[in-house]
Amino acid sequence: MAEFNTSILDKGNVSVINLKGYLDAHTAPTLENNFTQLIGNNRFNIVVNFNELAYISSAGLGVFMAYIEKIRENSGDIKLSNMSEKVYNIFDLLGFPLLYEIYKTEDEAVNKFTR
Amino acid sequence: MKLLFSDNSVNTHFRLFTIAVILLFTVRLIVGRSDSIFFEILQVVLLVFISLFLLLMLINYQSRNTTVPLSLVMNLGILNAVAFLVITFSDVITSSLLDNVNQMVSDPGLVYNIVSILYVLIFIAYFAYVLIVLRHLFILNQIKNAKIYFNTMVAFFILAALSSQFFTSKSLSFVEDTFLIVSVLLMVFNSVRISWIAFLSKKEKIYLLVLSVVISVLFAVNLGNTSGNGIHSQVLNSFSPSIDNFVTTVMLYGAIYFFVLFFTTLFHLPTAEAYDRKAQEVSSLQYFSKLITEVLDFDDLAQTVTDITLKVSHSNAAWILWKDADQFITLANKNVGFVDSEKTNKIILNKIKFEKINSTKTISLSDESSKDGEQSIFELLSVSPIRSQGLVKGLLIAAKTSGKLFTNDELSAVETFSDYASVAIENAKLLEESIEKERLEKELDVAREIQKKILPDKEPSYSNLQISSVFIPAFEVGGDYYDFFELESEKLGFVIADVSGKGISAAFVMAEVKGIFESLSKTIKRPKDILIGANSILKNTLDSKTFVSAAYGIIDLENEILCISRAGHCPVLLIRNEETKQIKPSGIGLGLIDTDYFEENIEEFEVQLKSNDTIVLYTDGITEAKNDKLEDFGDEYFKNILFDGRHLTAAQLSNKIIKEVTLFSKSYSQYDDITLVIFKFGSRQQKKDGLGKQKNKLDGEKEWQSSTHQF
Repeated sequence: MAEFNTSILDKGNVSVINLKGYLDAHTAPTLENNFTQLIGNNRFNIVVNFNELAYISSAGLGVFMAYIEKIRENSGDIKLSNMSEKVYNIFDLLGFPLLYEIYKTEDEAVNKFTR
Repeated sequence: MKLLFSDNSVNTHFRLFTIAVILLFTVRLIVGRSDSIFFEILQVVLLVFISLFLLLMLINYQSRNTTVPLSLVMNLGILNAVAFLVITFSDVITSSLLDNVNQMVSDPGLVYNIVSILYVLIFIAYFAYVLIVLRHLFILNQIKNAKIYFNTMVAFFILAALSSQFFTSKSLSFVEDTFLIVSVLLMVFNSVRISWIAFLSKKEKIYLLVLSVVISVLFAVNLGNTSGNGIHSQVLNSFSPSIDNFVTTVMLYGAIYFFVLFFTTLFHLPTAEAYDRKAQEVSSLQYFSKLITEVLDFDDLAQTVTDITLKVSHSNAAWILWKDADQFITLANKNVGFVDSEKTNKIILNKIKFEKINSTKTISLSDESSKDGEQSIFELLSVSPIRSQGLVKGLLIAAKTSGKLFTNDELSAVETFSDYASVAIENAKLLEESIEKERLEKELDVAREIQKKILPDKEPSYSNLQISSVFIPAFEVGGDYYDFFELESEKLGFVIADVSGKGISAAFVMAEVKGIFESLSKTIKRPKDILIGANSILKNTLDSKTFVSAAYGIIDLENEILCISRAGHCPVLLIRNEETKQIKPSGIGLGLIDTDYFEENIEEFEVQLKSNDTIVLYTDGITEAKNDKLEDFGDEYFKNILFDGRHLTAAQLSNKIIKEVTLFSKSYSQYDDITLVIFKFGSRQQKKDGLGKQKNKLDGEKEWQSSTHQF
């Protein structure tokens, strides 16, 4: 069950993190490391692609909150894309659409940065 | 069998032995030297008994004292030397003691009888001990029926000896010859079986080699000395020619045995070293595998691994190169300083790829040293990987200085130890994990305890409102919280919340959340404002990753109004008139954002309650409960069940839901806490029609009812 991995792809000045599997309290550190790494490399324009994410728990949601402040301070942002309906509902319940920009496709999200 | 080995039997043997000796003495004293066949036979019988009892005593003694074969052989050497002296000097001694020996033999007196009997006893003891030792060595071979082979041989010795005495006529001498030939054949046959020397170490073999040649020569010399017509054979013959023959036969056996032993040991000598090494390897492995299960400290194990590796591979030095979080460190140095081992490590890491090594390799450093500037004092290394969970974690290194090579045996031994080290490390890891797991379980117990104390232990009771609440904790405490607050003038406040994350940290946040709602509900009237207050507190106290989803509501029983506000929590369900409605006012989870933005985005929902309205609050433990196909219980299924059970009482409905959830996820362990709170409203008209009473009956809580009248 605790299968989770990520991959990072750079598209110009935007970094795309692809999530795959189950994101919960046990797998969250993987994603945390990704964010720390990107921030360390001064890459603050981040798109997270949820296409292959099967499940996200409340602890998984917490990861996004942990870094958003620092990223926005550096005039960057975390934008989310390709959420399944199920994952979107979890974000929606918590009011995340009020906190993050959520897009249907990765390109849409990436383009928002470049504009 | 037991009798034979008890002290009693030894005493009996000794008594019978003494009686036989006295009898022999008496017979000889009274009868003197007689040619009568009767006395001849009597003497032989007595001598046989004396020998038998002595043998039995020696066997008993032998079986009770475990002796090393080498020390037995040594004893035999000493005994032979003594016998040699006795035989050689018997002429001198007897002639100095007695004036005329020849006369004495033919006409024995008291002194002569005593001396001669002692002399015979010495030689009976001699052959008895020789036989016992050889028998013991023979049994060491662990062949089937060893005792029978040996006893058969001794029986033929006796037959040969007796026949030499009693079949003296020329025509019957073939009998003696036959027995003698068979005896000699058996001697040779039995002498070849000396596999016990294989288990001796090289040192012991050299020792045995010297000893066996000495003993073999002594046997031969004694044999030569006794075969003449000296005083020795005269004395023995005066008792019985059989005893003389028997002693000779035993000496012959001894000579043959040790002669064969000498050559066999000689031929074993070249392989002795290899045998020693194997033996050491086996014993080291035994020792080490015992150690693995007993010693769980990694450093201790590392020391032992290099220690044994050094011995088994006959290296000049050994150590472990360990990778600890991207840093290479040197561990458990044996016969080498850190400076030298670290220099060598650098060369090794230059020559091979640490992660790629998958079997024992030898590395020659003789040409490498000049190229690198770094000079190693070693010329040849054997490098074996130590793996854990499929990854190379370290290298076991054995090093030799100039002019020495690793044999295949040594390399395989080193490889074996590196494998053992891998197992040991794996073990140590597993232990660490299980300790960690135990710690976590203790922690979870604490968390569960906190959670139990925080949650209300009973629901408040109202005449026109049924309340049912169910909480099922997950194995890992999930951080669910719900509570009821009985406010002034028939108003019931309630909250349901879910802390993100699990375990003890979630439990502590839960405790904080309870405190916040307890105090805010007393001073603030509107659900929305309570949540705004809770958010501003939690935003400051929680770390950025942690948040709380919550829903707070107030049921005004007098005005029949439900007012509810939501902060990121699952929607509240309202079942009314054959319809299930989701109440989902906007609102962000607590602790996520600053008060201003939170306040901007939170709404409040108000509804006029009707009779038979059912209000359902829950946490995602229900909708996210999973079955064996990892499918969610889901919102739709949940709504359907609620709809089907809309006519049930609150308690019945919550039972039905919990039953359905349990059935659905029976093959999948409960991952999150499950919390379910159901209110069922009955209008004032139904106040006395039994719903309230029925509820009270269900819960059996009279106390609460009386207290509700105060509000």
